[in-house]
Amino acid sequence: MTEVTENRTATDVLTIAGLSKSFGGRLVLDDVSLSVHRSTITAIIGQSGGGKTTLLRCLNLLERPDRGLIAVDGEPIFDHRVVCRDLPKLRRSVGMVFQRFNLFPHLTAVENVMLAPLDAGVPEQEAVERAVNLLRRVRLTHRATAYPEQMSGGEQQRVAIARALALRPSVLLFDEPTSSLDPESTGEVLRVMRELAADGMTMVLVTHELSFAGDVADRVVFVDGGRIVEEGEPGQVLGNPREPRTREFLTHFSQSHQSQSHQSKD
Amino acid sequence: MFQVPWSEYSADLWEGLLKTLSYTAVGFVGAALLGLAVALMRLSPARLLRIPAVLYTEVFKNVPLLAVIFLTYFGLGSIGLKFDAFQAGTLSLVIFYAAYLSEIFRSAINGVHGGQQEAAEALGMRRISTFGKVVFPQALRLALPGTNTMLVDLLKSTSLLVTISAAELMSQGRLITSATFRALEVYLVIAAIYFVLCYPLSQGLLWFERRIQAGTPLSVGRRRRLRAAKALLAQSQSEVTA
Repeated sequence: MTEVTENRTATDVLTIAGLSKSFGGRLVLDDVSLSVHRSTITAIIGQSGGGKTTLLRCLNLLERPDRGLIAVDGEPIFDHRVVCRDLPKLRRSVGMVFQRFNLFPHLTAVENVMLAPLDAGVPEQEAVERAVNLLRRVRLTHRATAYPEQMSGGEQQRVAIARALALRPSVLLFDEPTSSLDPESTGEVLRVMRELAADGMTMVLVTHELSFAGDVADRVVFVDGGRIVEEGEPGQVLGNPREPRTREFLTHFSQSHQSQSHQSKD
Repeated sequence: MFQVPWSEYSADLWEGLLKTLSYTAVGFVGAALLGLAVALMRLSPARLLRIPAVLYTEVFKNVPLLAVIFLTYFGLGSIGLKFDAFQAGTLSLVIFYAAYLSEIFRSAINGVHGGQQEAAEALGMRRISTFGKVVFPQALRLALPGTNTMLVDLLKSTSLLVTISAAELMSQGRLITSATFRALEVYLVIAAIYFVLCYPLSQGLLWFERRIQAGTPLSVGRRRRLRAAKALLAQSQSEVTA
């Protein structure tokens, strides 16, 4: 506990210390510590199954860690057990965007965005205005009354981003937001995320888009085997990694990436 | 062939028709409510709730409706729990159809993708509103076809209540037959009335299903919010062009 409070500065949105989590005896997160400062972008990279997504899901307690500490906006929410009394309130301040969008299929785009504010007691007129403005922000006003199944993956993901923003969270979590999208849709979504970054939104993203991470992120965290192997500025971690394991990952990644882009050129 | 003086019996038929419709309405609403409760119990993590729900469903899915009717009317009556025909009739329909509806509701609720619950949770929605605003509306769409079939089936099954002289259509038919001895004619007319009730009902329900699947908003609140959103969008559009 003391470690967290001492290291915490006024600009910390998220603080994690000594976080561990196992599934059925397999350690998925092993003593992970991380701080996320306000208005910064933290990109978590690493192999699939390395614990990235679990780490992200622990941050709004969709996944319960076994041990460790988590604080959001300086308030401890997890201290070896859930200490947050009001999980809904916590989750309103920690927005989340999923890999598979998870839009509500029975509601139109604009209703998807206004549902949570309405549920949280925002007056109807204000919730509607907020939803329309957010759709404008992700450039989807022309799709406002479309249902998710009528939209492309990129459009759905942009609605999902608008939906996550509707409660004005202090941090947005992205779980591989472009992994199930084609290159064009990926471009659309990354553009919106770039704009959010420019607006000073605090974001934590799990991603395979290393060039995007290198471009936008303030910090890159390489996670492997449930541990943070290396953490630092993008130029350093991606360009000049200290750890052999990071180097190995990046080499493999660029090789498979190159062969992919060759294929797409053909 | 037609020798029954139908004009004399039109009032009886009308009364029987209304009775059939009230058995159907009360029976269906009751069965839907009880069925939903049983479905939720079956989906509960608590075994204390799950086990009685499973027992209930299995028992009443495997007992004929007629036996349930006799049990509630004659059986319970014989031990002092006397119900009149309407009470016993609706109670039987509720008990019997709740078992089937609970199965339809349970699989519909299970059919809603797990990511939906998670997305609602991640948006800070509480359990009750997650169920009410996210899971239930989607489950309703999945449950609609099966539920509609059950509604039509329930309407037809009210004819079994003739056995406790429930004064519905079939009972009226039997009374008219015993007065006129024209069984073929009377029961043909009765069968035709059932058809005229059920066919438009099932077609109407199919139309309703298609509208829901097409995403037509039904609730007043949704319509109002969508109108407000469209108005805002149109406003900003005209500002852009101006």
